[in-house]
Amino acid sequence: MSKVRRYEVTAAGDFASVLSVLTDHLGLRLLSLDEGERSWLDTSTGTLERAETTLEFRLPSGDGTPSLTWAAEGRVLVYDPCVSSTPPVKASDLPASAAFARLVTLVDGGELVAGPTVNSQIAVLACLDEEEKTTARVIFDRSETIDGVTLPMMLEVLPLRGYEDEASSLEKKLKRSVALSASAAPMKELALQGRSSGRVSGGGKDVAALVPTMSAARAWRVVFQTLTDSMTQSFSGVLSGNDPEDLHAFRVAVRRIRTILQDGDDVVDPESRDRFRHEYRWLGDVTTPTRDADVHLIEFPELAATLPPSRREELASFNEVLLRHRSDCQAAMTIELRSMRRAEFGTAWLSFLADDDAWTGCADLADEPVLRIVLRRVEKANRQLVKNGRKISKKSPAIALHELRKEGKRLRYLLECFAPLFDEKALATILRPLRDVQDVLGEFQDTEVQANALLELAGELEGADDHSALMAIGGVIEQLGVRGADARASFSKTFGRFDDRKVQRAFDQLEPRKKKR
Amino acid sequence: MKVLATYNIKGGVGKTATAVNLAHVAAAHGNRVLVWDLDPQGAATFYFRVKPKVKGGGKAIVRGSLELGDAIKATDFDNLDLVPADFSYRHLDLWLDDAKKPLVRIRRALRQVSEEYDYVFLDCPPSISLTSESVFRAADALLVPTIPTTLSLRTYEQLDRFVEENPDMVRELKILGFFSMVDRHKRLHRRFMNDLRTAHPELLEATIPNSTDIERMGVHREPVGAYGKGSKPARAYEALWSELQTRL
Repeated sequence: MSKVRRYEVTAAGDFASVLSVLTDHLGLRLLSLDEGERSWLDTSTGTLERAETTLEFRLPSGDGTPSLTWAAEGRVLVYDPCVSSTPPVKASDLPASAAFARLVTLVDGGELVAGPTVNSQIAVLACLDEEEKTTARVIFDRSETIDGVTLPMMLEVLPLRGYEDEASSLEKKLKRSVALSASAAPMKELALQGRSSGRVSGGGKDVAALVPTMSAARAWRVVFQTLTDSMTQSFSGVLSGNDPEDLHAFRVAVRRIRTILQDGDDVVDPESRDRFRHEYRWLGDVTTPTRDADVHLIEFPELAATLPPSRREELASFNEVLLRHRSDCQAAMTIELRSMRRAEFGTAWLSFLADDDAWTGCADLADEPVLRIVLRRVEKANRQLVKNGRKISKKSPAIALHELRKEGKRLRYLLECFAPLFDEKALATILRPLRDVQDVLGEFQDTEVQANALLELAGELEGADDHSALMAIGGVIEQLGVRGADARASFSKTFGRFDDRKVQRAFDQLEPRKKKR
Repeated sequence: MKVLATYNIKGGVGKTATAVNLAHVAAAHGNRVLVWDLDPQGAATFYFRVKPKVKGGGKAIVRGSLELGDAIKATDFDNLDLVPADFSYRHLDLWLDDAKKPLVRIRRALRQVSEEYDYVFLDCPPSISLTSESVFRAADALLVPTIPTTLSLRTYEQLDRFVEENPDMVRELKILGFFSMVDRHKRLHRRFMNDLRTAHPELLEATIPNSTDIERMGVHREPVGAYGKGSKPARAYEALWSELQTRL
């Protein structure tokens, strides 16, 4: 079957100028030119995406007729003008036809939900032969999300069956006439990622824009926008799974957003805060197994190196288990990240950030100066950390240290996310020992989690009667135990450096001193 | 996959127009449709603006050395593909005669694409020959456009008799006749239609009018529904398709 070839238009110029190159210079015939809103529908479990099809609802601007198109790899399976100007929700809302009957079977009683929504200008063009027969279709698409994120201009070449050579020749001509770069992602995916070619309208995403006197709600929004940018940048890398750093960066941004939401009590609209905290928790959870698998793979060689050389070789088969496990985790995570839940929540989050009205008078302290609010929350978080840190003894259960780690993270994220508001020197005095405490607690927890996971994964070797490898893994787990014990032993001293008078006094100096005139 | 052959022993009765327009209607309803132009004149191929040439030759398809799928060309319409005509099809009878089990050759070729299409329309040349018999074996139904004239009545009855006398060859083939190129202004057409319906109550209710809109297919080189959506003949083909659904 003929496959769609996708390109990102990197040429300078607007939609109209590129379109005129396509029609006037390349002689493509313009079949239609539409403008309006379009959404991609799917079930909440992504049934249509798994079947490699898309269901697109279009609502043209002006007097145009809404339409529904079900397609697979650029091939329209069915197109139907709709009576309703709202997308279908139930299978019974779909038009009655043979093809939609197939769609109903595929959806199998599941409800359809609207995923990413964009405003688009779409031109459909045809490449014709001397008989004026279409040999390839070209779709030229300029879209922006409903929150104003301008997506890259896309150009798709759809070869028609039996005319593959003609399509290849057209592609060559296109590349000579318009600056293009190959792209694997269809517009739906770009919209899902919210990947922009510019900036969100209403801008102000830079955390450096924070000033102590700005309203708390506005400052919270700036922080969220910065973190969302970072999350968006790493999203495609997370999906590809090529570089563990992308997933790490993505998870850090997610965790920070969650923490700042948690500390957004009386600053952020309460209903939105509850909803997004819940969703970000879910997003963090779905990425955890893959990150854990990454850590196993990254650290395993170092751990294995602590074993005698003869034992190391025995671990080769276990490395295969780790790779397989990582691949399974990535596959499961990708399904979740491409799900309608993620799409809906991503779109809702961007809309929330872009909606000016959602950030004015939205909560009791929303209009208070940000510094006052943040200092109060930092003070509270520090008080709690110090109180619970002092309680940790050699006999404390592991869970007490895990809880303390979360409290430490909360304080650290507050300080780091609102850093431009604080006195630099005081902030540095606090952050250094705080990070050390976090490192110790992190090492303790990670070694424990890793030891448990390796033990569980080792079970996969047992079936193969690989006893020598099992013995070697036992050696690795022992090493992890030693590292964990070392971390725990060093806690008291490390925490003492944070719970030091000088550091604690620095909390009172976080408010920048007013410059003398 | 249902295989429908537009067939009449007599030429110029609207076989190709029926195949092209019904295929277009069926595809517009979301069915995956293939038209196989078996007529060396290549009128269906012309209407879809496709070049009348099968890469590798029509003979190779019949012999089985070329997959039918490799000869398929997409038309300009979604879900509607075509196996173009080839002038060499004028020798189709000879090739079939040379082949082993000639009657199953077309059916075998179609089996290769049975998962890809819901409906296949075979546009057949006018005659009773080995090609027609091979088509009869491959098809689930023969769509027989019939002009309401004495001569057409004779050919319709000839076909009916042939099918009745050769039950082994045609197996479960349905004969679905309908009136084509009907001019309701002509008293003779009206009378023949009444007489024929009395004699053959199995004839379909839907009729295709004699219309310049259909003749203009040659100018537009596309199905009537593409340039004359909502026109009388376009509505007639919609009605014919709708009635066929109840009879297949």
